[in-house]
Amino acid sequence: MKSIHLLRAAWLALILLLAIQSAPAEDDSSAPESASQSLLRVNSTNQVYEFFQPWIKKPPFSRRGIGTLIDGGRILVTAELVANSTFIELEKPATAEKSTTTVERIDYDCNLAVLRPADPAFLSGMKPLALNGPLKVGDQATILQLEPNGDIAQTLGRITSISVGSYPSESGALLLFKLGAPLQQRDGSFTLPAIRDGRLIGMVMRYDARNQSADIVPTAVIRHFLAELDSPTYQGFARLGMAFAPLRDPQLRRYIGLKEPGGIYVSDLTQRGSADTAGIKKGDVILAVDGLPLDQDGNYEDPDYGRILFSHLTNTIKHPGAVIPLKILRNDQTLEIPVTMKVANEDQAISETHLSDEAPKYVILGGLVFIELSRPYLKEWGSKWASSAPQRLVYYDAFQNELPADRGRIIILSQVLPTPDTVGYEDLENIVVTKVNGQPIKSLTDLSEAAKKPVDGFQKIEFEEDPKFLFLDAASIQSNADNLKKHYALPSLERL
Amino acid sequence: MSRFPLIAFAFLCTVAALNAVEISKSLIRIEATSQEPNYKTPWSPGDVSSGVGAGFIVDGKRIMTNAHVVSNARFLTISKEGDPNPYLAKVLHIAHDCDLALLSVENPAFFKSTSPLEFGGIPEIESVVSAYGYPLGGTRLSVTRGIVSRIDFQPYSHSGMDSHLAIQIDAAINPGNSGGPVMQNGKVVGVAFQGYSGDVAQNVGYMIPTPVIQRFLKDVKDGHYDRYVDLALTYRNLFNPASRRALGLEDETTGVQVCSVYSGGAADGFVKPGDVILKIDGHTVSSDGTIPLENEAVPLDEVVERKFKGEKVQLDILREGKPMALTVPLNEPWPFKLQSNLYDEKPRFVVAGGLVFQPVDQNFMEAHDPSDQRLNYIFDYFVADELHTYRPEIVVLSNILPDPVNAYAEEFRYSVVDEVNGHRIRNIEDIATAFEERTDFYIIKFAGGGRPIVLERKAIEEARPRIRDRYAVTTEKNLEK
Repeated sequence: MKSIHLLRAAWLALILLLAIQSAPAEDDSSAPESASQSLLRVNSTNQVYEFFQPWIKKPPFSRRGIGTLIDGGRILVTAELVANSTFIELEKPATAEKSTTTVERIDYDCNLAVLRPADPAFLSGMKPLALNGPLKVGDQATILQLEPNGDIAQTLGRITSISVGSYPSESGALLLFKLGAPLQQRDGSFTLPAIRDGRLIGMVMRYDARNQSADIVPTAVIRHFLAELDSPTYQGFARLGMAFAPLRDPQLRRYIGLKEPGGIYVSDLTQRGSADTAGIKKGDVILAVDGLPLDQDGNYEDPDYGRILFSHLTNTIKHPGAVIPLKILRNDQTLEIPVTMKVANEDQAISETHLSDEAPKYVILGGLVFIELSRPYLKEWGSKWASSAPQRLVYYDAFQNELPADRGRIIILSQVLPTPDTVGYEDLENIVVTKVNGQPIKSLTDLSEAAKKPVDGFQKIEFEEDPKFLFLDAASIQSNADNLKKHYALPSLERL
Repeated sequence: MSRFPLIAFAFLCTVAALNAVEISKSLIRIEATSQEPNYKTPWSPGDVSSGVGAGFIVDGKRIMTNAHVVSNARFLTISKEGDPNPYLAKVLHIAHDCDLALLSVENPAFFKSTSPLEFGGIPEIESVVSAYGYPLGGTRLSVTRGIVSRIDFQPYSHSGMDSHLAIQIDAAINPGNSGGPVMQNGKVVGVAFQGYSGDVAQNVGYMIPTPVIQRFLKDVKDGHYDRYVDLALTYRNLFNPASRRALGLEDETTGVQVCSVYSGGAADGFVKPGDVILKIDGHTVSSDGTIPLENEAVPLDEVVERKFKGEKVQLDILREGKPMALTVPLNEPWPFKLQSNLYDEKPRFVVAGGLVFQPVDQNFMEAHDPSDQRLNYIFDYFVADELHTYRPEIVVLSNILPDPVNAYAEEFRYSVVDEVNGHRIRNIEDIATAFEERTDFYIIKFAGGGRPIVLERKAIEEARPRIRDRYAVTTEKNLEK
C-alpha cells in the first residue's frame, strides 16, 4: 500500500512540475524574479475567544501565508490570516531574516489587511508590486507560493469566472475572481498573491482542492480598500442594505405591470440601512442604478467586467458617502430616488455576524453568565450550528431584520456556574433576558447598570421563555463575588 | 423494610405458574394490517404493512391492547390460545395519548370458553411480575418474568408528547409483547408497551399501570374517548432561597413557581405566571413539584391526569405573597397537539397550479424534515411563544410539482403562507377557499414578506389536467382529517 501511495505522490509532483515549467512558455511575462523581491512570509499566531466561556481564549494556532509588498511600505495580506492575531512575524524567503509587525488596518468585510514592519529598514532592497488592471474570463494568471528554500513556485491558471460572490465575513457580497489552478499544498498556502505580467491581480483567500479552484480578492476590491486607507477616515465598503429577488417570472412581471425588460424586486430592507433611509420600500422594482439599466437578475453592463451584479457598482466602485440615483417602479409610477451610500453599522445589529478581533462582552451575576447573541456564538455549536443551536437564537440571528428597530442587542443567559446563590438554577441555559429589576435590557451595559439597583434586596431577572423570571439575593451575590471569581478562576466578573 | 427475597420469589413462582394456564383463556394474538399515509404525496393512500401484537380480554367482551398495535389499521384479525382460527376484530376505542385501545369482535362465538382478566393496583417496587405476549411474532404464548424496578412519570413514545405514570420492569419486553398483560397474583397490573433498543439500555421495559388503564376505561364509558385534560401551564422547582423569599414563601412552606400559562388552556384566566402552587386538591406540593400519592412521590400533574373533561381541580396558591384558593375547571383538552405524532388521520392538503399546500404537524415534519429556519422556529415555538394566536395552523408550500405554470416557485419550498389575494391564511381551509375565488391573478404572500408568487388563473386552469396526469394526483384537495 505504501509504495502505491508514494508512486502516486511522485506522479502528482511530476504533473505539477510540468505545469510550472510550462508556465513561462504560455505566460510570456509572468516575471517571477521581480515578484520575488516583493514577497514575504507572514507567520501569524492567532487566538480566538471561547464564546461559551468568554473570559478565556482557545489554544493558540498559527497560520502562514505570503504577504505582498505594495506602495507605501505596506504589506498586503488577507484579513483571515491575521484575524485575532497575538503575534505576527515577517520573514524574508531567501535569508529567513525576521521582523515583527503590527496590523495597520484590517477589514473583515473585504477580507484584507495591511501590515507594517516594526523596523521600516527591514523592507530595504525590496520592491513593491504594482496592481494590475481588470481581467476577463479566460485570462491567465499565476499563483505564487514559496518553497522552503525561498524559491518561488508558480502555478498557472485561468480565470474561470468573475462575479459578485460571498466573502468569509458573510456581511455581503463583493467582486470575486475564480481561478482554475492545480495548486499544491504547501506550508503557508493560506494567503497567496496571484500575478500577471509581473503585476498583482489579487489575493487567493480560499482554495477548493477538489475543484482546483481558487477564490481571489481582485484588485478592484484591493484598490477600494487602499483608497479608503488613504482617505482621512477609513470607512470601508458601503452597502445598499437590501435583499432582492430576480424578476424572471413572466406572471409576476405582468402582475406588477412591468413593460420594459429587466428590473429586480426589493424583497427585504435592512432597517436604517442606505436604501431604507433613502425611502426605498419592500416591493419596489429597481430598474436602473446610477443611470445604468438592470436586467431581470440585477446585472448591469460594466465597462471592465461586462454583465455583473449592480452591487459591484454600489459597494466597490462607489465609496461611502456617494449619492447614487435609483430608478424604481412603485405602483405603476417611475421614480428616481437618490440613495446616500452608508457602511453597515454593526453597532445597530441585533446579532453581530462579523468576524471580529474584539473580546466578547460578558457579565457574570452571582454565577449566571450573560452574553450578547452573535453569529460567532452560534457557530460554537459546530458546522451544523443552524440546526443544532437553540432554534430561537438561530431565528433571531437569521431574521433580525424583522425584529423592531429598537430591539437592541439580544442578551442571553448563556449558562450557570453553580454557586450557593444559584441553587435550583443549574439547568438554565440559552434563554433570552428581557428585564433586570424592571429595566428593559438592550445591551450588556444595560444589564450591568440595572443590576446596580436591586429591588427590595433582590436581583429580579426576567426572560422571554421559562422560567420567565428568577431572583438572586443581591447582598449575598455581592459578598460571594470574590469567592466566585476565585473558585472558577475568573479574571473579572464583567467585560463591557 | 427487611425482606426475604428467596421465599417471596418461590411463593410468587407458584402463583405465576398457575396463572400461565389461566391466562391462556384470556390472552389474544393480534395481527394488524395498517396503511400509513405518505405526507410527501398526501393524495396517495400510503404503504401497507402488517405487524403482530398481544392483547387480553376484559370485561364486556372487549379486548384491550396498545394503541400502537392497531394504529392506522385497515384490517384486524385476532386469535386465541388453542384455537388457530382468525376472527375479525374492529377498533372500538383508541387513545393515542396513553397508547391504549379496545377492540370488539364481530363473531360472539369467539368468547366461548374465555374469561376476562381483572385489574390489580400499583405493584410494589421489587415485587415480581410476569409479562405475556408474542415477542418477535411467534404464534405461541411467551412468558417472561421480572421485578418492578421503578414507578415514575415517563414520556409515552407513541404520541411522543404525552407523559404519564409508567412502571419500569426488568422482564424482557420485545416487539410483539406490546399490548400484552403484565400479571401479579392473578391480576393485571399493567400493559406492556415500550422499551429501549438493546444498544441503549438492557432489561428496561415499561408497562402502562392500572391508574392509566382505569382512567381510559372510565373515559370511554360514555361511548367516546375524550382525551386527557391538562392545566396547560408550566412550573418549576422552588429550591432557590432568594426566589422563595421573593415570592413570599416561609421557611417550612413548599411549592412550585408557575412559569407560563398558555392562552386558551384550562388555567388561562385563573392562574398567573409567578403564582406559587402550594397545594393541589389538598395534596401538599413539594418544592420539586411532587405530591405524595399512594405512598409514592409523583408529579403534581398526576392529580389532573386522573380527572376527566368537565371536572375541576382545586389549587391553593400564593399570589404576590397572599394565599388564595382557586377552582380551575377542566373543560377541553389542549387543542394544539401538532407536536405529537398523529394516527388514523388523513393528510390534509390543497394542490393549485402544481403547488402543494399542507398544514404542518409532527407527521409532516418527520416526512419532510425541512431545514427552513423560519419554519423550524415557528414549529418548535408554536406553543411556547403562543404563535397559534396569529395562525392556528401553520400552512406551508410543501412541494412544487414542476410545470411551466410554477417555473419560478422552487425557492419558496417550505415557506409559511401568510396571505392569498389579501386573505389571511389561518388554516388549510382558507387556502382552499382562496383558490375558489374567481380572479385573474392569485397572489401568494409568505411570512417574512419577500416577493410574492403570482399565478394567473388562465395558466392554472391550463396546467390542471397536465399536472393531474403527469404526477398522478388523484385528488386535488383533502380537508378532512
